[in-house]
Amino acid sequence: MEYKGRVLVAMSGGVDSSVAALLLKEQGYDVVGVTMQVWDYSECDIEEGAGTCCSSIDVDDARAVADKLKFPFYVLNCEDKFHAKVITPFLNDYIHGRTPSPCVNCNTYLKFDHLIRKMRELECDYLATGHYAQILKNEAGRNVIVASFDDWKDQTYFLFTIERNIIDRILFPIGHMKKEVVRALAIEHGLINARKKDSTGICFVGNGDYANFVKANVDADLLKPGLIRKYPDGEALGPHSGIHGFTYGQRKGLGLNHHEPLFVLKIDPVTHTVWVGEEKHLYTSEFETAECNLLDQIVPGENIKVRIRHHHPGAGAKLFPTEKGFRVRFDEPQRAITPGQAAVFYRENQLLGGGWIV
Amino acid sequence: MIDQSTEHHNEHVYLDYNATTPVSEIVRKHVMESLENWGNPSSIHWYGRGPKNLLRDSRARVGHMIGAESPLEVVFTSGGSESNSLAVVGTFEAMTRNQNPRNIYIRSAVEHPSVIKAFNSIEEKGAVVKVIPVSRTGEIDLVRYRELLTPEVALVSVMFANNETGAIFPIKKMSKLAHDEGALFHTDSVQGLGKVPLKVEHLGVDLASFSAHKFYALKGCGVLYVKRGTILEPQIYGGGQERGRRGGTENLMGIVSLAITDGLLKHSDEYCGKVLSLRIYLEEKVLKDIPNVEVIAKDAKRLPNTSCFILDRVSGETLLMNLDLKGFSVSTGSACSSGNPEPSAALLAMGIKHSEAQSTLRVSLGWLTSKSEIDRFVKTLAQVVTRLRQIDDEAMAEYGI
Repeated sequence: MEYKGRVLVAMSGGVDSSVAALLLKEQGYDVVGVTMQVWDYSECDIEEGAGTCCSSIDVDDARAVADKLKFPFYVLNCEDKFHAKVITPFLNDYIHGRTPSPCVNCNTYLKFDHLIRKMRELECDYLATGHYAQILKNEAGRNVIVASFDDWKDQTYFLFTIERNIIDRILFPIGHMKKEVVRALAIEHGLINARKKDSTGICFVGNGDYANFVKANVDADLLKPGLIRKYPDGEALGPHSGIHGFTYGQRKGLGLNHHEPLFVLKIDPVTHTVWVGEEKHLYTSEFETAECNLLDQIVPGENIKVRIRHHHPGAGAKLFPTEKGFRVRFDEPQRAITPGQAAVFYRENQLLGGGWIV
Repeated sequence: MIDQSTEHHNEHVYLDYNATTPVSEIVRKHVMESLENWGNPSSIHWYGRGPKNLLRDSRARVGHMIGAESPLEVVFTSGGSESNSLAVVGTFEAMTRNQNPRNIYIRSAVEHPSVIKAFNSIEEKGAVVKVIPVSRTGEIDLVRYRELLTPEVALVSVMFANNETGAIFPIKKMSKLAHDEGALFHTDSVQGLGKVPLKVEHLGVDLASFSAHKFYALKGCGVLYVKRGTILEPQIYGGGQERGRRGGTENLMGIVSLAITDGLLKHSDEYCGKVLSLRIYLEEKVLKDIPNVEVIAKDAKRLPNTSCFILDRVSGETLLMNLDLKGFSVSTGSACSSGNPEPSAALLAMGIKHSEAQSTLRVSLGWLTSKSEIDRFVKTLAQVVTRLRQIDDEAMAEYGI
């Protein structure tokens, strides 16, 4: 078999990155597996750690897969970096009325920065992950990132911050496959995690209860109570115990008894007011982005596709450069354009970059 | 004898003997034989008698190995950590039960986690804990120690030799000072056995911990030497084994494995001389071939097999992975915290900076280590360190530092 070089595989302990390692091994790469330990699980009981990404059970699963496929495996302690670059901004977003997208930061600062450094330090030629994304050559022969074949699983939304100059070093071995095929391969090869449930939600918030996670991890005086007001008349409908419990477009759990359905329209972090109103007010066409990263040229006014959250199918839009990034103008109004989420740009299926919604 | 052939079976070079040691050939053989004696040593019937005799014989041999006056001073445990816990917590509980007014417990700053955590535990239950500082050069602060010793001191626990730096502490002298104040003295001598001459009677201690797997025997067996007349509250209750000091059916296989090493111990002087000359060679070569390296506690009295290097601007974690990928097994910080690159508490306690502690590399040699292994190791180490420093330079340049 032809030697393809050495590759560092970021393994979460889940089935996707395990199959990524399996495929690379079969293709003739010299594989080195790593798991980033990002959270101190020693305090968690077994139940709590199970099923979320990168818990200690997941580390054990990744190690077991590496052992079975006979390649070296290491655990990297990334707790400090994860806390500084992912958890802290996550909490900060909620305190300021934004709905964060922490997986992007994890990719920016941990997977495609810290691990790129580790890749070089461990004399690896490539870094591979189990992301559902593809790297394909464009007409000019340049590597570009393209949405995965399995469009429901596509994770390119979380990859817009990747730096252009490292794309040639990245491998996404399962991006051309459907999830069912990935799982079938894992079963066929007897991988220990073949039937493990997909991780959903955010890895460090065990049961998806973000509000309680925020409450448990920030100073109580940062979580001020406020009022829920109705747009546009400003009528106060009742108190709330902190803006961190709300997100744009939210309908359930507002604690209101109102004759018509109400949705969160805007969160004002200065006055701690949560504005609610009819759903039609959630639709807007224009918004600003900041801290943008571009992976390819975009002509101002060019017709592109923009996604404003994971699982948003994308809608036609045009970009106009601003001082901080781009103003995005959708062809049709979109529902709940949410500060803290990313706006990610595509041409057909090609990832062009993105920025943060402000 | 140690099986020299394992070196050739395996391309990997093992330089982590302070973490554990390979099981010697003679131990393997005797352990397999001992499995024939599968009966319970406590049984009165025929099946119990063989194991009972084997246990008695092993206890005598181990007692002799460590220099106990009587085999009855040997309490078999599951290992070094249990021995340390039993010594510290067992003493505290016995003192409390007997309403002994002594309530100060002294340890060094660089003890093994099993000692430190045992001290934390008794502190929570009312003991007063004092700590003797250890300097960056590996010297324990005897002036401070004398100040701490008062008639209220119940127990002093100081390790014979540090697992990370190899620094050896003056146990005989410290034990004498403790006894002058009427205090008991415990030493965690897990790292000492087989590396330097070590007899408990000579040291004059009341309690001493040992571990079988640090000396070419099996994991899961340790010893707490308990000088005749020293009272301990058991930490594991059971059917009266070990004269009531440690319950549970004996791990005869492990116990036999340790007893067998008395044969190895006879060759200790010869092997340790060889190990020491290799260690001197290793350090000279590293300091000559690699810039900006420091040997921690270089001039202290040290175990003959241990070197702890600080390699400036190199992450110990990354270095260890690189060396592993090239077939060299070493350690950074303490092996007990492997997978957890928090810097070693013992090194920090010696005044070594956080960043320095994260750049440490512990190399511990053993009886199977050869000069050619050291040559290959240093050559690889120099290459890896150069490369990692280059990457660091480039990263610094990128950030404009």
